[in-house]
Amino acid sequence: MAATLILLSIGLPWLGALVVWMVGDRHEKIQHALAVAFSLAAGVAAVILLGSAGKETALTIPVGGVFGDFTFVADGLGVFLAVIATVIGSLAVIFSVDYMHGEHQLGRYYAFVLFFIGAMVGLVLTSNLLLMFVFWEITALCSYALIAFHNDDPKAVAGGVKALIITQFGGVGLLLGAVLLVSTTGSYDINALLASPSSIPAGTLAVLAYGFLVAAAAKSAQFPFQTWLPDAMEAPTPISALIHAATMVNAGVYLLARFFPAFKDVPGWTEAVMLVGLVTALMAAIMAVVSNDLKRVLAYSTVSQLGYMVYAVGTGVVFASQFHLLSHSVFKALLFLGAGAVIHSVGTRDMREMGGLGKKMPFTRVVFIIGALALAGLPILNGFWSKELILEAGLKHSPIWMYILMLVGAGITAFYTFRMVWMVFYGKPKAEGHIHDAGKAMKVALAPLALGALTTWLLAGPFSKILGTETLPYHNIHAESTWEILGEVISLPTLVALGVVALGLLAWWQRDKLGGLGKALGWLGKAAAASFGFEAINRGVVKGTQGASNGLSVTQTGLLNWNVLGIVVALVILFAVLALGA
Amino acid sequence: MSMNVPSVFLIVVIGLLGVGLYALLTVRNLIKVVVALQILVKGAMLAFVLVGRLTGQVNLGQSLALTVIVADTIVAVVGLTLAVQVRRKFGSLDIKDLTTLKR
Amino acid sequence: MDPMNAVIWLIATPLLSVPVVYLAGRLVARKAGDSSTINPARWVALAAMLVTGVFLFVAGQSVATTSNPIGMTVETITLRFDGISLVLAFSVWLLGTLVILFSGPYMKAEVGEEKFYSLLMAMIGTMIGLGTAVDLFNLWVWFEAMAISSYMLVAFYREEPASLEAGVKYLVQSAVGSVLILMGIVVVFMYTGTLNPDVFRMYLMPWPGLIGAGALFIIGFGVKTALVPLHTWLPDAHSQAPSGISAMLSGVVIETGLIAMLRSLGALSEVYNWGIILVIFAAVNMLVGNLMALRQKQVKRLLAYSSVAHMGYMLFGLGVALSFGQSNGAAGGFFHLFNHAMMKGLAFLGVGALLYALHLARGDHSPLMVEDLNGAARKYPWVVLTLSIGLLALGGLPPLAGFMSKWQILVAGAQTQNVWMIVLVVFMGLNSVLSLGYYAPLVNRMYRTQPSDIVMEGKPVSWLMTLPLILLAFGTVVLGFYPALLNWLTKPAALALFQTFGR
Repeated sequence: MAATLILLSIGLPWLGALVVWMVGDRHEKIQHALAVAFSLAAGVAAVILLGSAGKETALTIPVGGVFGDFTFVADGLGVFLAVIATVIGSLAVIFSVDYMHGEHQLGRYYAFVLFFIGAMVGLVLTSNLLLMFVFWEITALCSYALIAFHNDDPKAVAGGVKALIITQFGGVGLLLGAVLLVSTTGSYDINALLASPSSIPAGTLAVLAYGFLVAAAAKSAQFPFQTWLPDAMEAPTPISALIHAATMVNAGVYLLARFFPAFKDVPGWTEAVMLVGLVTALMAAIMAVVSNDLKRVLAYSTVSQLGYMVYAVGTGVVFASQFHLLSHSVFKALLFLGAGAVIHSVGTRDMREMGGLGKKMPFTRVVFIIGALALAGLPILNGFWSKELILEAGLKHSPIWMYILMLVGAGITAFYTFRMVWMVFYGKPKAEGHIHDAGKAMKVALAPLALGALTTWLLAGPFSKILGTETLPYHNIHAESTWEILGEVISLPTLVALGVVALGLLAWWQRDKLGGLGKALGWLGKAAAASFGFEAINRGVVKGTQGASNGLSVTQTGLLNWNVLGIVVALVILFAVLALGA
Repeated sequence: MSMNVPSVFLIVVIGLLGVGLYALLTVRNLIKVVVALQILVKGAMLAFVLVGRLTGQVNLGQSLALTVIVADTIVAVVGLTLAVQVRRKFGSLDIKDLTTLKR
Repeated sequence: MDPMNAVIWLIATPLLSVPVVYLAGRLVARKAGDSSTINPARWVALAAMLVTGVFLFVAGQSVATTSNPIGMTVETITLRFDGISLVLAFSVWLLGTLVILFSGPYMKAEVGEEKFYSLLMAMIGTMIGLGTAVDLFNLWVWFEAMAISSYMLVAFYREEPASLEAGVKYLVQSAVGSVLILMGIVVVFMYTGTLNPDVFRMYLMPWPGLIGAGALFIIGFGVKTALVPLHTWLPDAHSQAPSGISAMLSGVVIETGLIAMLRSLGALSEVYNWGIILVIFAAVNMLVGNLMALRQKQVKRLLAYSSVAHMGYMLFGLGVALSFGQSNGAAGGFFHLFNHAMMKGLAFLGVGALLYALHLARGDHSPLMVEDLNGAARKYPWVVLTLSIGLLALGGLPPLAGFMSKWQILVAGAQTQNVWMIVLVVFMGLNSVLSLGYYAPLVNRMYRTQPSDIVMEGKPVSWLMTLPLILLAFGTVVLGFYPALLNWLTKPAALALFQTFGR
């Protein structure tokens, strides 16, 4: 049963990708319908799979030899993320029906979206590290293809290639870990590693741990690899929702959460994870404050919220990190799709050219504000509960200065969220032309997400059960009831946190009176607008590589004498090396 | 002091190889390049005859050398055909003109 | 059929077909006197390849099932068909057949079609023959015969200056390499008095002269194998040859050089740890090939440089196999060799199809630039789809074949438990990422919505050209999903490598 469902939830989107591609771009309506059907079917399969979650290997495809057996386990962590990928993914597909209406090359668009969703499901359900790497790379390929979907726009292409190169660069860390694991234990079995991490030498385990951290940071756009995610905003907006909420960036957090039991005793690893999360959360939040591009603000907020999740893994409370991942997926998909409706209508992403849209887009305003409040962490929305869980984990398991800085981050989050809502929906109307509210398919996608942002926190109990020891034997997550978990949240530190959030809100309210403070922090804004120099580093690396390439190409003179000289010199050098070596 | 036959041969072999390689590094005329290749191969050929004699397998050495001559002649023919065609198309045999393909 | 006879006919059929192909084409061309009739040379060549395929099947089945080489002596020459010969013969046969199919429409307008096919058959036959050579001198003879047929194919467009230039450089550099090989053989002959490695391999000691002979072999065969810095002929030859020949050169000819090098070093296996030298060249090849390709504007030159990099990946696997005894390295190296034949064959044929449609069909011999590809997908969906699969496979993206073979090589590198090799594993991974820096934008270009002017005016691509592309792309995807399908090929090859080195 579980095996069939696993095959279905990976295979259906992939089959759909093939079918939509084959249908051809002349039959636009059929393509839309097929894409929706296949993604929904995968979503249904994944939801049913929730019922048969277990820790046993559910499906084995014998390949053997150096590739190991391709195995799948439908454990709690995997199934949960598979549901996120397929359900949020299918909502993004439904949204696309309106958003991508009349676009060229829909076949390519939907094929990659479905391929992406299937790969993400595979990534979280497999227990073979090679296969995990395969799916990992496929998600990178799909994200690149979709970010660069508008191929005629050089910015989109550059953004896509940047995403591909940076995530692949990080992927080398995962690759190294995987080949080291198989070369020391002869097996790719992830659960075997989680069961007895001491079975491999401590040094190798440390390489694995830090290699995976690099891979996860690159994938989840964490410090110092965060630069690709804002540039990925060139993608069509449903793709941004897909990447930010359903698939891509979750993979990094998933990787850390999955391997936490194996790496937690590696010296310095948990501290490093916390630090990466902390730096990212703060830095991205500040960058979100100074950005005027609606999608970029959301992108930075994703980076920042992912920082919270990574930090939570570092504190050892995997449950809090995954619970926030759930909340974040829902409200971020909502925010992105809402932003998509706005952008689709206004035709720009610059918030300075928006303003006063609330009256013309009432539905969008309501759902967007629900998402924004969840992001800011106001009760009783889902973001509030999960963020508080993370902060409490931080208070208990991390140095107090880290906790305080994370609190500050929560305040900044509230600040930029209110700024964004204000600039888009309130104030003086600036956009001209025909402004229309979200289309029908867009509403179909937005409504359940808004409902989700209001209610998913009620699932805390069942969520802790599915991540419990019955399906995840090595993670030590205890099943509790919803009320127990919520009861833990309601405490004094939460009031402090709420106070900080309120401060952020107040700061935006009284922004005129805080002019002096704003000026004093001007240097910070400038640094943030320049992405704290990380873009410059990126550019430097690209320039250096291209310079090396140009420099090297001088050696190809085309002159025959020179070419023969190459042979003679190589021979002489080889003689010399052998004479010294022997 | 008189030199024995093998060492004379050896000096000739090394000389041919050296002259051939040096020529390949310096000459600019395509015909001369083909000639330089010929000199190189003649060195190798002679070496086969020499070693056949040294190891007491004169026949084997010579038959190998013969095979080398055959293969080498074909290469020379192809090379010269190309040279003729180059002269027609480029109007020159200078290999400095044969540098349109680079980078 | 007796496997021994099958091996003999496997080599003989393509070689015997050479005059037949030539005469068939020549007679018809003379009789018709105009270019409207279809030259039968290609069909004769194709038939010969199909017959060869039957013999290959028989010989291959024997080797794959028993893992024992098929050995025989014809007159005074010893031939041995083992796992390495099988990988080579299978790659050559597969790619050769598809190239003949592809070249039908591609070469239709050219003068001397019959010459093209007969030379191609000669090249195919000599490559298969080279795989079976045991004796060092015999190895050289096959090698030289293959080289001569490839010189003429590279300079096939005799009216094109650039093609002549490439031919000249290729010929001269290869000929220098060939002399170095001969000198290496002379040295071995001097020390041992024989040329059959089976006789002398185990008695050799690390004498300096023999180490020098090994160096001569590495550099000599290395010219054909495109070791950096001996690779300078390669971008010229690969970009100027007719695209079918570019596919053969890049897909199998340089690999044949590699196999010849392995065989010759195998004879000297007791003299030195040659694997380390291969690994050093591997690192240099990867980096230089990828960097040179990164800023390249001519598509075929770009692919040519990527071959230099891919040769590096193969060398890494084989070098690790030889110096650390990792059978995964050998199997991975040969797996990558085969995959590279498919992927690079696919890439060159796909680019060739576009080159033909956009330039050649209009009598224009200028090179295909990357800008020319803009928006090609609108007009040539199948060619562009398959070409994209080929390019992404070359870049090592799963689930495509190139990823799996690279993976096997990387695992072998890690299995050595040697810090330097693990550093090289990371280096190879980073190189793969670097290579995406030029493959990915190329794919992007082809899927632009605004086609370039040159694409708008492009001529149609015949289905005979598209069919090989689809078959190769299919193979690339299937092997990516289920790499174990090729175990029958790579395992005997790995075994044969160790046997060649007397282990």
